[in-house]
Amino acid sequence: MRQRGQKVFAAICVAPALILFLLFVVYPAINIFRMSLYRWGGYSANQTFIGLENFRILFSDERFYRSFQNTILLIVVVTLVTIFLALFFASVLCRERLRGKSFFRIVFYIPNILSVVVISAIFSAIYDANNGILNSILGLFREGSPILWLGDRGLIIYSIAIAMIWQAVGYYMVMYMAGISAIPESIYESAALEGAGRMRTFFDLTIPLIWTNIRTTLTFFVISSINISFLIVRALTGGGPDGASEVFLSYMYDQAYTNSSYGYGMAIGVTVFLFSFLLSGLINGVTKRDPVYL
Amino acid sequence: MGKKITTVILALGILAGLFAGCTGNGEDKNTLKVAVLESAYGSEMWEKIVDEFEKDHEGVTVELVAEKNLEDVIGAQMKSGDYPDVVHLATGREAGLTETMIRDNMLTEMTDVLEMTVPGESVRVKDKLIPGFTDTLATNPYSDGKTYFAPMFYGPCGLFYNRQLFIDNNWELPETWEDMFILGDKAKEKGIYLFTYPTTGYFDAFFYALLASAGGTDFYNRAMRYEEGIWDTQQAKMAFDTVNQLAKYTEPTTVSNANNDNFLKNQQLVLDNKALFMPNGTWVVGEMADAPRAEGFEWGFMPLPAFNNGDRYSFTFFEQLWIPKEAKNPELAKEFVAYLYSDEAVGIFAEAGAIQPVKGVSADLKGDSKLFYSIYDNGAKAVMGGFAATEPVEGVSIADSLFGTIDSLVSGNKTLEDWMNAVKAASDRLREALK
Repeated sequence: MRQRGQKVFAAICVAPALILFLLFVVYPAINIFRMSLYRWGGYSANQTFIGLENFRILFSDERFYRSFQNTILLIVVVTLVTIFLALFFASVLCRERLRGKSFFRIVFYIPNILSVVVISAIFSAIYDANNGILNSILGLFREGSPILWLGDRGLIIYSIAIAMIWQAVGYYMVMYMAGISAIPESIYESAALEGAGRMRTFFDLTIPLIWTNIRTTLTFFVISSINISFLIVRALTGGGPDGASEVFLSYMYDQAYTNSSYGYGMAIGVTVFLFSFLLSGLINGVTKRDPVYL
Repeated sequence: MGKKITTVILALGILAGLFAGCTGNGEDKNTLKVAVLESAYGSEMWEKIVDEFEKDHEGVTVELVAEKNLEDVIGAQMKSGDYPDVVHLATGREAGLTETMIRDNMLTEMTDVLEMTVPGESVRVKDKLIPGFTDTLATNPYSDGKTYFAPMFYGPCGLFYNRQLFIDNNWELPETWEDMFILGDKAKEKGIYLFTYPTTGYFDAFFYALLASAGGTDFYNRAMRYEEGIWDTQQAKMAFDTVNQLAKYTEPTTVSNANNDNFLKNQQLVLDNKALFMPNGTWVVGEMADAPRAEGFEWGFMPLPAFNNGDRYSFTFFEQLWIPKEAKNPELAKEFVAYLYSDEAVGIFAEAGAIQPVKGVSADLKGDSKLFYSIYDNGAKAVMGGFAATEPVEGVSIADSLFGTIDSLVSGNKTLEDWMNAVKAASDRLREALK
């Protein structure tokens, strides 16, 4: 009797959170899948069931492929560069004797608490073709017409990547620092006694010991690259010039609202969902190692 | 046991709290929900209008929603079935709410409003309006002679420039495209570019007027209905060629700022004498009121140059007001719309700078506004409307193909031929989906 009472009590306690979760996460997610099978403007009562037609159009839509390419490029570039920088800074700030450690810690973390609108404003000032910092500095070394960081179709996606990396480094650095500071100092001492240099300790000790940490962040990278790239694109370039900086979610927004094709937008949403799900699974599988216990 | 009951009650209380926000509001026959976009004119004029309307209509309460991001506010409510009775929100916005209403046939027909007598007056709405405003695709989106949109604040669009710069350099204003490009070469010698544009979105009014100057109003209307082969005609080629040539005279950094967040930098080029002309609307004066400017700067405004000895055109932009099909109170809504054309309402709007297409209003204008609204008196022809409504076509947008591509023309990434092909392809797809 007592046990049963406890179960009921537990169920009642969990119920509000569970209901919220079902109502605001599971139900909308199922709805997205359902809606991707309809032709619908988003407001009216006339939803026409068209099966997988939206997906058929999607796979022959050049503009969707371009946003796909841009997103993948951003995921790859941003993840690689951010991991490298974040690990480097984390290990320097944890392992090296450095003046003003906490000052740097704060400085690196600040971009992460800034809103994306502020970040976009900062970068639009940096990238400004006429009076931007970047072109002013480069102007000291080179002649000729200014570089259009936000106007050149070939450059723009890298300009966005730089803003994303700048924004993300601090966050991941703090995650890695937490992992590194959990490693006992004695291990490093014995490694030093054995004659291991800085590089050797970094690759053979630090990285294996925080590997689980790194694996978790890889999934974060996939999710946040997709989300943050949308926010930055919206605030910095609006998808332009001529759609060159369009990413997954900005194209989804464009189709669902501006082009009144809500169902099609949801089909893009479903594709993004499956893509990020599969990619995260893949990354998780590939990076699986036997954990190192201390 | 008592404890358990308390726990259960508390837990249920939390659950009840979750749904507290979901209660509906009672509907009232005398309540009118009005949703308006708060634009550069401010929302104060709407508050005054509502006050006056309530004064004249005893027992009627108007619930006014005036927001800059109107779509975000009413969009969610509309999805849950709670529709405003009157909406003032034009087409051409990024969220595309008004376009969606057209495409999904969710508008109340307003042809009868034109026949209504303006409340408190003895004139019909129709007779107060400047002729032509209710014969366009922007008011009759299905081109079936039925009006679904009330034309509200209007303004001519054309080319804005620095008048003082022309006086200082002894340059004459170009009247034909030939003169325009000769001027472009002259200006280049002084380090000034002929042209810039805020974003490619501003090419809509520009290109519509250009089409009309190349082939007349009838040709323009055929193009707006995606007529087969229209983009292969000599007239269309003239328009495409002109923009392509203009792209070569465009200030080169324009492209990098041609988005919704940095377009002011492009407008600034004109204020700083770095570019001569930009396509824009009358709102630009207010928008740039606090911006720094070259010494002696004075706004100038002209219609598009003509082809050879043809006519000069200026596109007339106007905002639209509509009644959703799902409006709870359509009769009162129509009464409200008719009231908006009364002398009283027109006066309130005009005071805030919002000019309706009502006869005689532009005669009392002063300053810059007088200059802008007088271009039609000085020989320019007006062109109105926009592309005809279609069923939504997934992945195809005429605006992206026809205007968006211009960025790539300026940056040299695409050729004239690429552009024309993109427009033709989009036009072919949309023709099949015409309403």
